[in-house]
Amino acid sequence: MTIAEDSAPQAEVMSIASPINLIFASLFIVLVYWHFRPKQAIELPRGPPPTVFRVYTPKTLIEFNGENEKPVYLAVRGRVFDVSPGRNFYGPGGPYENFAGRDASRGLAHQSFDEEMLTKDLSAPLDELKDLDADQLENLQSWEDRFNEKYLVVGKLVAEGDPEAPKS
Amino acid sequence: MADQPILQKLDTLVADILADWNIYTTIVAGIVATFAIYSAVSAKDPDVHPFLLARQSTPSPIRQSGESSTYRSLETPYGFPLRAGLNVKDPGAPKWTAGRKGDLRDIWRAAVRGALNEDGTPTNTQGKIFTVLGRQAFEHSLSQVTQEINVIGHHLQKAEVKTVAVCLTDSVELLAALFAGAFYGFKTILVPHNLPAETLCAHLQTAQADALIAEAGSLDLSVAAQGNKQLSHVVWVAKYGNRHMDWHGVPEGVDRDIKVDVWHELVEEKKDLAGLDLPEYDPKEPAPAINTVWPSSSQSGKFIDFQSENLIAAIGALGSALPRAQRFSPSDLVLSIDSLSRSYPLCLMMNALFSGASIALNSVAGEKVDFALATVGVSPTVIIASSQTMSDYHDSVMQPQTGLVSSIGRWVQARTLDAGNMPSKNIFSQLARVGPTSELSLDKLRLLCISHRIDAPASARLSSKQLTDLRIYTDARIVYALTGSGIAGAIAQTNVFDYRRHDGPSHFGSPLSSIEITLTEVSEDTVTDTPEGQIKVSGPAVVGDEITLASRVRISKDNTVELCS
Repeated sequence: MTIAEDSAPQAEVMSIASPINLIFASLFIVLVYWHFRPKQAIELPRGPPPTVFRVYTPKTLIEFNGENEKPVYLAVRGRVFDVSPGRNFYGPGGPYENFAGRDASRGLAHQSFDEEMLTKDLSAPLDELKDLDADQLENLQSWEDRFNEKYLVVGKLVAEGDPEAPKS
Repeated sequence: MADQPILQKLDTLVADILADWNIYTTIVAGIVATFAIYSAVSAKDPDVHPFLLARQSTPSPIRQSGESSTYRSLETPYGFPLRAGLNVKDPGAPKWTAGRKGDLRDIWRAAVRGALNEDGTPTNTQGKIFTVLGRQAFEHSLSQVTQEINVIGHHLQKAEVKTVAVCLTDSVELLAALFAGAFYGFKTILVPHNLPAETLCAHLQTAQADALIAEAGSLDLSVAAQGNKQLSHVVWVAKYGNRHMDWHGVPEGVDRDIKVDVWHELVEEKKDLAGLDLPEYDPKEPAPAINTVWPSSSQSGKFIDFQSENLIAAIGALGSALPRAQRFSPSDLVLSIDSLSRSYPLCLMMNALFSGASIALNSVAGEKVDFALATVGVSPTVIIASSQTMSDYHDSVMQPQTGLVSSIGRWVQARTLDAGNMPSKNIFSQLARVGPTSELSLDKLRLLCISHRIDAPASARLSSKQLTDLRIYTDARIVYALTGSGIAGAIAQTNVFDYRRHDGPSHFGSPLSSIEITLTEVSEDTVTDTPEGQIKVSGPAVVGDEITLASRVRISKDNTVELCS
């Protein structure tokens, strides 16, 4: 009996299921899981949705003058540029604010930001700029090149009643 | 003061636990420590930054209504010109000037010159060309091929032919004929070699070919001559085994005068005259076009009139689509088991020649070949194959032979792939390969280029799981490309480091830098998220600059191209 009593604790000491062994075993399982854990696929946030290319008439373009958080558009020789990144210049309160939402071709050619450079009557045909001289045309071209470089073309400007104009 | 007994209790608890320390504890602790060290040491950065895989192409900020944005490769985003050429720098040109677009002649010249050192001086190592016939590989030196180019070019130029139809299996003669066309100014038409005589005859008719290069004995000249009044010259390419025969005869029933020559006799006769030097050429003069036939369901196929610019743009783009360390280099041996009459293998082989790599041509190459048999003769580092070939091989050999042992190996290797690393050769890769690829001898293989025809049967499309299997069992990285009729090279190709796994068929990565993709007939509901529509491809690699294909395609969340089924 005494021998049995003596050896019993001995057997317990050599047990593989002692608390410390269990701790190490679970540590091992955690490590293995951590090593082989399935990794979450990375998903980047979507960029802003693309702008849809549209056909504008002077009447529909005039909304886009930068007021009420709207983007700032202006048209040069039939192409509509989104100049919102340059809102400080072209938006409300900027030096070029008269051009916002309008056909700016004549004004840019004349290097003038005055009101009278714009076509008053929004239903009138587009300004064909036939009376410009060589210097003014060159001026206009250099503006257009700069816009092309910096800003997106988001649409096309046609006169009211043009076959391409969207039916309202 | 109050927590003193608690601390004491803790102390006795820890002492009790530690008192249980025995030999098993030491063993378990050793295992834990070893694993922790292994885990820390083996942790590597992924091969490519995960963000680059999370958004693989760039959309344009503007779109037409009813269409999606225009998607482009990250190399050439919106506002930059698409890749149009090889950027060939002539010797003596100022260092920082942009290179020329180049053409096929520049490719052969680069191949003959061999690879360059960093500073632009030649390394004097030339690639080689091998032809694989069954288990044997025959080696050809590049100067020997130059000689053949000169002889055949001279011969056909003197005969004043404008259009040469080439109807050969993949061989040195086929390459030589292509380059002879580029150097000596005639248009070449690559006709698949296994067509029935009537179809071939119709092709010659459509192309108005006035010369034909074909394998001796492979077709009946009387049939071909009958429907083609313009055909005036024939050059037979005789196989090694039947060169002793007389191939000069014109069959009875041909009432016209057709000049018949035999390739190896021409080369033998005139090689001293033609010389080993490349003919001089004016790079400003455009190289002639190469036509290929796009296989279609109607058997007859459709002619694709690739201009030199289309091919060059695609060759350049396929090269730059691979990251620098993965590009073809002089130490590579590129084997094509897909027919050179298809533009993806053709452009990749041209890129290999341009990079100074060695190439191997297989006479059985085609869209549907036995992968194991076609790769025996040589030990390539790069293999170009079709999706049909690879999916057949996966389904008939790899899948059935995957046992328990290889499954365990595969599981471990797949973890490494998920972490974004290509598994290196280790005990698990040996385990994984036990069954599935035991018959292959592809020890040096590092890259598999697989192309899928957009109008091929859906069964040939490889799933993401199949690509993972191929990566693990062949120890090679994979690029998987989508090809379309009228587009040189490919439309889109996966990133070579994209090992991500997902359910269903694999995507096709991002557009190549020589083209851009727009989806048309897109419904407005899907347009901002994952647009789905008909695919319109445009750019320098596209015949006629723009093509709309009949298949429907989706741009998935990571901006990769997916085929809708």
